[in-house]
Amino acid sequence: MVGFAEEGELNRLESQVDNGGGGAWEYLSLVRKLKVRRSEKVLKHGLSILNDPKSRSKLGPDEWTLYEQVAIAAMDCHKLDIAKDCVQTLSKRFPGSTRIGKLEGMWLEAKGSWAEAEKAYSRLLEDNPLDPIIHKRRVAVAKAQGNVSGAIELLNKYLEVFMADHDAWRELAEIYVSLQMYKQSAFCYEELILGQPSVPLYHIAYAEVLYTLGGLENLNTAKKYYASTIELSGGKNTRALFGICLCSTAISQLTKGRNREERESTDLQSLAATALLKEYKQKAPAKLPSLSSVLKSIKLPF
Amino acid sequence: MASGCRYELKQNAYMKVVLHALKYNTTSVNGILVGREPSSSSSSMVEIVDAIPLSHSLIGLLPPLEIALMLVEEYFAGEGLSIIGYYHANERYNEFELPNIAKRIGEHISRYFPQAAVLLLDNKKLEAISEGKSREPVVQLYTKDSAKGWQKAGTDSNGLLVLKEPSANLVLWDHITSGKHHEIVDFDDHLDNISKDWLNPNLFI
Repeated sequence: MVGFAEEGELNRLESQVDNGGGGAWEYLSLVRKLKVRRSEKVLKHGLSILNDPKSRSKLGPDEWTLYEQVAIAAMDCHKLDIAKDCVQTLSKRFPGSTRIGKLEGMWLEAKGSWAEAEKAYSRLLEDNPLDPIIHKRRVAVAKAQGNVSGAIELLNKYLEVFMADHDAWRELAEIYVSLQMYKQSAFCYEELILGQPSVPLYHIAYAEVLYTLGGLENLNTAKKYYASTIELSGGKNTRALFGICLCSTAISQLTKGRNREERESTDLQSLAATALLKEYKQKAPAKLPSLSSVLKSIKLPF
Repeated sequence: MASGCRYELKQNAYMKVVLHALKYNTTSVNGILVGREPSSSSSSMVEIVDAIPLSHSLIGLLPPLEIALMLVEEYFAGEGLSIIGYYHANERYNEFELPNIAKRIGEHISRYFPQAAVLLLDNKKLEAISEGKSREPVVQLYTKDSAKGWQKAGTDSNGLLVLKEPSANLVLWDHITSGKHHEIVDFDDHLDNISKDWLNPNLFI
């Protein structure tokens, strides 16, 4: 998860390097730090450093980190020969290393040799039974083969031990959503919110899952989490503003004919609608007429 | 019920589908198809005029889909066009089945337009256009049969899905090699930054 400012800095550096302005190592380090997936660029700029003996020696011990980073980027771009070269260079420097063993497993995955990759990981697990990365690679192998139920089973077992691994909870939540298993997905987001209560991403994802599940109770809860998203993100979350409008409309449709205790919530919907209109007027004026019409058509009848 | 209808896919709509999938090549992507219903009772040709890229993450969730459907419908009503279909591209390279979520969204659209088209990207066919010989669309058409559900349309020569411009694959390949897919904007991108336009008005200029 990368913040707006961080992404801006990354893109700025990327442009700079792309246009020959230098700073490749800073860019590559930032990519590593933010854990983003920009494999084409990493491959291109990483290789340009590795293939130039002077730049390479300037890195000192960081050279090996770069080999690893480029190996993974190469696998992601399906340049298996380049990846193999990097892994072999690393393996000569660090013989018998588990970390490089994992890279070798990933290479087998990239090649599509699932059975061999699985064997490699099982072997590594014998000596390193509590290595989270190896466990997660096995989930990746299952997922890549389309064995979603296998991936779910492995992830659940993994999370019984490594229950603080947010990335794993998120992955599981997303797999459940792709299978339309919304209740299970909601559970994952609940774990994430418990563990990291001030991350707006989890609040809004939870709200969206609840809205999808539907029903009055879920809609009311969804509305609360859309509201908390807005609070946590300083009012800057367009999805959450839309979410409030959608929830209010859906709730009013379900509570039609009941008495008017919902008055205060119409204020929230009006606030959200107003905020949306203001935002669109400022940043996307061409879309303002369509937005206006849509918001009018879903407004609560008085 | 839907059989007998032909679907003509305009180049820009076709290319947007593929470019969207290429931009987010590590996840599933989906989008809405916009066009014209058959113009008279004697014609049975549905024109697919444009494609609106929707999502590249958490595709099964309702709120972004509902918002997008409302905004797209509202916008295109002014242009005399309506929502006539849905497209989907699977996450994995060799997954050729239409997933349930795609069927569900297709269902929803077919309630408003019974001859709704669902297009699924075919990665094998996409790979083949690099050789410059194929004129076949790299998407597979599905239509709804009231009894049997979503059916794959045959790929024989009088196919139900035709590309309006026969050289579409050549133009598409050209765009791919020049990295055009990096510029395409989907609804997810728009919601993250509303100054990005999901209409992609300047994409092919």
